[in-house]
Amino acid sequence: MSRKALQPLWWVVIGGFSLVPFLWFVLTSWKSPAQITAIPPEIVPEFHWGFYDSALRNYGLLRYIRNSAIVATLTTLISILIGSLAAYALTRFRLSWTRFYLMLLLAISMFPQIAIAGPVWRILNTLGWLNTYQGIVAAYIALSLPLAVWILATFFKELPYEVEEAALVDGCTWVQALWKIVLPLAAPGLFTASILVFIHVWNEFFFALLILTNPALQTLPVGIALFPGEYTMPWGEIAAASTIATLPLIVLTLIFQRRIVRGLSAGAIKG
Amino acid sequence: MSLSLSIALLLPVLLLSPLFLGAETQIRFVTWKSQFPKVWDQAIADFEAANPGIKVTREIGPHSSTDFHDLVTQKLKNRDPEMDVFFMDVIWPAEFAAAGWALPLDRYFPPAERGKFLVAPILANTYRGQIYGVPLFIDAGMLYYRKDLLAQYGFSPPRTWPELVAQAKAVLAKANDPQLTGFSGQFKQYEGLICNMMEYVLGNGGALWDADALKGTLHRPEVVEAVRFVRDRIIGEISPRGVLAYQEPESLALFAQGRAVFHRNWPYAWEIANDPERSRVAGKVGMTVLPAFPGGKSVSTLGGWQLGISRFSRKPDLAWRFVSFMSSPRMQKQIALYGGRAPALRALYRDADILKKRPEFETQFDTFVNAVPRPRTPVYVPLSNIMQRFFSSAIALRDSNIESLARSASRDMDRVLDLLREGTRP
Amino acid sequence: MKGAQRVASYYVLPSLVFVLLFSLYPIFESFRLSFYRLILALPWLGQRFVGWENYGDLVTDPVAMQSLGTTLLFVAVTAPLEVVLGLSMALVLNESFRGRALLRAIVLVPWAIPTVVSSQMWRFIFNDRYGLINFFLFGEATHLYLAPLAEPDLAVLAIMTADIWKTSSFAALIILAGLQTIPDELYEAASIDGASAWQKFHHITLPLLKPALLLALLFRTIDALRVFDLVFVMTQGGPADATNVLQFYGYKKTFAEGMIGYGSAIAVVVFFLSLVLSLLYIRLLGARILERSER
Repeated sequence: MSRKALQPLWWVVIGGFSLVPFLWFVLTSWKSPAQITAIPPEIVPEFHWGFYDSALRNYGLLRYIRNSAIVATLTTLISILIGSLAAYALTRFRLSWTRFYLMLLLAISMFPQIAIAGPVWRILNTLGWLNTYQGIVAAYIALSLPLAVWILATFFKELPYEVEEAALVDGCTWVQALWKIVLPLAAPGLFTASILVFIHVWNEFFFALLILTNPALQTLPVGIALFPGEYTMPWGEIAAASTIATLPLIVLTLIFQRRIVRGLSAGAIKG
Repeated sequence: MSLSLSIALLLPVLLLSPLFLGAETQIRFVTWKSQFPKVWDQAIADFEAANPGIKVTREIGPHSSTDFHDLVTQKLKNRDPEMDVFFMDVIWPAEFAAAGWALPLDRYFPPAERGKFLVAPILANTYRGQIYGVPLFIDAGMLYYRKDLLAQYGFSPPRTWPELVAQAKAVLAKANDPQLTGFSGQFKQYEGLICNMMEYVLGNGGALWDADALKGTLHRPEVVEAVRFVRDRIIGEISPRGVLAYQEPESLALFAQGRAVFHRNWPYAWEIANDPERSRVAGKVGMTVLPAFPGGKSVSTLGGWQLGISRFSRKPDLAWRFVSFMSSPRMQKQIALYGGRAPALRALYRDADILKKRPEFETQFDTFVNAVPRPRTPVYVPLSNIMQRFFSSAIALRDSNIESLARSASRDMDRVLDLLREGTRP
Repeated sequence: MKGAQRVASYYVLPSLVFVLLFSLYPIFESFRLSFYRLILALPWLGQRFVGWENYGDLVTDPVAMQSLGTTLLFVAVTAPLEVVLGLSMALVLNESFRGRALLRAIVLVPWAIPTVVSSQMWRFIFNDRYGLINFFLFGEATHLYLAPLAEPDLAVLAIMTADIWKTSSFAALIILAGLQTIPDELYEAASIDGASAWQKFHHITLPLLKPALLLALLFRTIDALRVFDLVFVMTQGGPADATNVLQFYGYKKTFAEGMIGYGSAIAVVVFFLSLVLSLLYIRLLGARILERSER
């Protein structure tokens, strides 16, 4: 079959499109300082490991990765929890305001985030939460709730009500119905929403720049933004740091990609 | 139930928060990540040892002047009492002074003390008769050139810009190396573009704006002529078009890879260009003052960083103790020796240790003394953005109508400058 | 159900607290400030209510109008292209072949790299001397090398490329999920009727995929209208202001220039642009987006 014959081509085209730019950066991380800006570029690196050493030791990369992991995990857990409660209520109780609330969430996710960074900073300052994990996590929860609630709502609405209704008749409380019946059924949706929120938070730069100035708490995007000196651009260290920092996410997506795809197909798209 | 549940979930988050407790008095210093961290760590340890009971806490921002400005002004506009001392780029003191953010330092930093510093950076820190910052180190534009190539073709370093263009073209024609270019500088649309263009504009007798009349001057013939020179002779003839996207690192990389005859940069480039690890032209590099236009004088833009104290600090006296320690001759000497940055204190240019380790400072001293600060005004950033847009549009488009772009930029600047006439200042 | 009303409000309350405090209040502040003239560097001018003046200035500000054009061009090129590329990738990834799981994971790599990092990466790749693009196009012939970030037109293309690379896989993911909901029986029935591959795609795949395609387009449009990180890291709006998108202009006004009122007005305009486009899409998606689908 001609389709089968085309398979290697798919691999090259799609794999190349996704990977080549990043692989170029990976190769860069193994070059020597003078080789990085060689004209014309040199493909084969000298396998110099100095930039990894420097990124880890002089720039404290692992600390930034740890902070990002803490912040992203906490944000994901809390917003998925709060988001499920809201999404459950919004899909199960057909009240006059539920549709309005969903629309409101969608609308606020359209407002430019940079424009609200100032007021958010002031609130955190009032609470004394600048330079704390709970401060950045609280701001991120608000940023990711619309995404989480929307994805979860599209999943929940597809789940059969009958099982819950039976459980409620049997004397289950609403909480038990959500916890024991709906959540397990919606597991793929929870995974999808979690990974979307996690990556969204993992990538966020501007809020973190303003809110986290204590070097012990700064996250990865801010950390890498701190690499360039006043007049220097440490491409080698940035490339090494990006390579290291991307690995956990690649592993994470490898583990979750089946669930993500399966998850979305379970509900979101049927609309 | 769900409420208590979410509170229960938030609890560990609250407990995770770091505790900034302690009996000592704390000074918060907002700084960028140092290129020579050991010097700073040591200095802060020394300060804490000399001042028992005082602890210096550093908050770290990015090195990019624009990003750092976002961070510091965010704290200042919200009157954050937590920040005591901060770094200021040489273009900020007027803005910070007018906004009521920086503390006037006159009672700590009397004229006699200021006299020990170079004149230009002190001027840059002075706004309406009061001083707002203490210069820590300075920068000034320099011309770097390939000693070997110039010698090979019988040239001496150019005194004027047309001479530089002619030499570059001659070297390019004779060297027959398709990879070699004539000149690299910083022409991306960012603050560095102002630094570069100001050297041509002022060198040609023009001005960025008229600070007394509060009027834009970009449309004047001297300015238009200088901009046209850059577009047609520098970018058009001897520079690769890539310089239109270059900041300092890319422009230096081109020179350090041996692909440019001439290069405009700050003093830091000397060390890198002569380091065989990072440069392919180590030992073949010369440095001199920037060229002038025929009949004019060479202009070099002043850069550098200062320490300021927040007006919202609750302990300005302690903050001053820290600022004065960090800007002391001892500290500036360390920064010069180990960081390679040019001190703001005059006396250090006669210091034997410094001259031994950094002999190039001797040649650079005249440039440092004569370096020209960008004009001081509280509305510098909006003016700079208009100028960046103008300069970039004028030189990036081969057939730009420079006169008409200049007229409209000048009008835009008039409108911003008009704001300074409004209302009565305290 | 009175109980339901109460339970529902309890469930929504935690999310509402965060949204009120960290989203609604700040957005309200931006709206309010957009009616004031407030310049941080000139505190003696005070905070003066100016009504619609900021919006009036915005309409007559050639820089704002140019950046509006750039933004709309960016959205018009990237969002549909990302959906088309995402669709092609999804169609391939929906076929069964050896190594499909790995290829699916590889496709997600661009999306998992923080934007500030991928922007630096593209800046490096687009360098006019040591960048990969030039080496790819011209090999060792360095005299032919282009400077993509130095030419106004090419710089716009460069940021579009970086955006398309990063987010096509996001569209692919949503579309792939949509593809998997199409029952195989439909294709089998069509095969029996002797339909060609194109006919199957045209009559079965596309119509059933419409909701997924529109959802991907909606997300990409909202995001592209607010593009910021790419410009911030790669071009700072230059050269010749060619990549000065609206959101970046608003950032400069608010944070760099301290023109809070004017900057807020720009944010509000970006918001309404998003809102109008989204409502348009939701109209196309149909009101059913919130309803339970018929089984």
